[in-house]
Amino acid sequence: MVSTANKIEIRGLRAAYPGKVVLEDVSLDVREGEILAIIGPAGAGKTSLLNCINRMSDMIPSMKVEGSIRIDGREVRDFRDPSELRRRIGVVFPLPVGLPMSIFDNVAFAPRMGGMHDKKKLAELVERCLRQAALFDEVKDRLGDLGTRLSGGQQQRLTIARALSLDPEILCLDEFSIAVDPVTTMKIEEVIKELKQRMTIILATNLVLQARRLGDRTALFLDGRLVEIAPTETIFSRHTADVRTFQYVQGVFG
Amino acid sequence: MNTPLPFSTTAVTQANRNRESVIRALLGIVTVLLVLPLLAILGLLVKHGAPAMTLDFLLTAPAAGMTAGGIFPAIVGTLWLVGVSLAVAAPIGVLAAIYLNEYAGDHWGTRIVHLAIVNLAGVPSIVHALFGVGAFVLFLHLGTSILSASLTLAIMTLPVIIASTKEALAAVPMSFRQACWVLGASRWQTIRHVVLPNSIQGILTGVILQVSRAAGETAPVMFTGAAFYLPFLPQSVHDQCMALSMHLFTLSTQVPGVPEALPYATALVLVALVMSVNLTSILLRSYLRSRRKW
Repeated sequence: MVSTANKIEIRGLRAAYPGKVVLEDVSLDVREGEILAIIGPAGAGKTSLLNCINRMSDMIPSMKVEGSIRIDGREVRDFRDPSELRRRIGVVFPLPVGLPMSIFDNVAFAPRMGGMHDKKKLAELVERCLRQAALFDEVKDRLGDLGTRLSGGQQQRLTIARALSLDPEILCLDEFSIAVDPVTTMKIEEVIKELKQRMTIILATNLVLQARRLGDRTALFLDGRLVEIAPTETIFSRHTADVRTFQYVQGVFG
Repeated sequence: MNTPLPFSTTAVTQANRNRESVIRALLGIVTVLLVLPLLAILGLLVKHGAPAMTLDFLLTAPAAGMTAGGIFPAIVGTLWLVGVSLAVAAPIGVLAAIYLNEYAGDHWGTRIVHLAIVNLAGVPSIVHALFGVGAFVLFLHLGTSILSASLTLAIMTLPVIIASTKEALAAVPMSFRQACWVLGASRWQTIRHVVLPNSIQGILTGVILQVSRAAGETAPVMFTGAAFYLPFLPQSVHDQCMALSMHLFTLSTQVPGVPEALPYATALVLVALVMSVNLTSILLRSYLRSRRKW
């Protein structure tokens, strides 16, 4: 349920590669249990923002990050082991990535890496995650098949099941529908609405209508800067605080 | 004027078609020319070496001042040299490649290492041989021994093992690593459970190909551990040994009165050994590729 408590607090975030600033002076809050949709054209900084939140930015040596990101009041930079942070944040990338192992092992991968080896518990967990991702019925008879051999839409739901396997508090979806057919996209959108009951969701998308369907609040990014963040109905009304928001949403540019 | 039929030949398409067949023929001829020398060498070796090729030849020591007998000690010696050098070079090379590809960033330090590896791979084998004499035989007091010779071979094969292993690791898509990292897997867990299982085919192929190279080299073992003639088999890595490549050199140039068939048969054994190792590598590669997972 959406509360007024802040799950993530971002203050003065700046991220840059040598010679190119990708995020500049970004401050925003993500509320506990909401779906925050982030819209903006390619290169607006959506992916960079997600990379900063789970410190995947550490894995990109040339990327420099400044500013503060707090999750439940705790500075993400203070996690000595970024794995600990990443286990609390599920991530779904734009292109589906089935790991080169069986469907079962794909979902069981993260719990196993965390030290869980009880076969019965793993089996329950895998089934639960696949059900939540609306994939179980399609693959229940072939959990031993390679995850990489599934169709694109199935692999994307497999990725979601995998992201759910650690029962994350935050789920980041980065343009999940870019390589997925419309029917699967609607299935996944239903999944996201379900998941909202239990976790905070950040949904980066360049489909403004997807943001309208799913977002409790919506933030518009342009050229690495936050233009406006407001309840979704405000963003999609005439009463946006910034005229560029109105223009972007209406398709004047993009 | 008549309109040409659709899809009918025009001057341009005809010229294209002619050029296509000329180029195709040219490329085909070059390919055939490439295979001819190999077949010629094999034919020659079989023709001249076959008369001497007996079980006795394979299983006895040279006799009568190298002019008779077999090559058993040389076969055993080559296996020792290749085995020990591989035991040293493979683990070090693979671990170094993992570090370079998975951990080290791209900065001046790693660029110097890359440069060093590339250049080390280009050093002539005789230079490696002299280095082996200086470093292992003399400085480390290992004497002329299997150990010295194998270490020299290891230094020689190491850069290529590192390069081929790095290539195999780099062939695993980056997206797999990212998918593991966002799930909270550490770098090593990612390497251990995803990167290595999916690059092992390339790593093994690269390592095995270096076996055949080490087996054929003469210069690096000549000064460091391979003997002209030994009536006994080596008992440990501190002994000297004979080697097929060295023995071939001896038979062909150093001993008068050797029957013609002996060097040819020795060469045939060496080539057969190298080719069977390469064949193993090809079979292994195709077997593992059939189990490829993406």
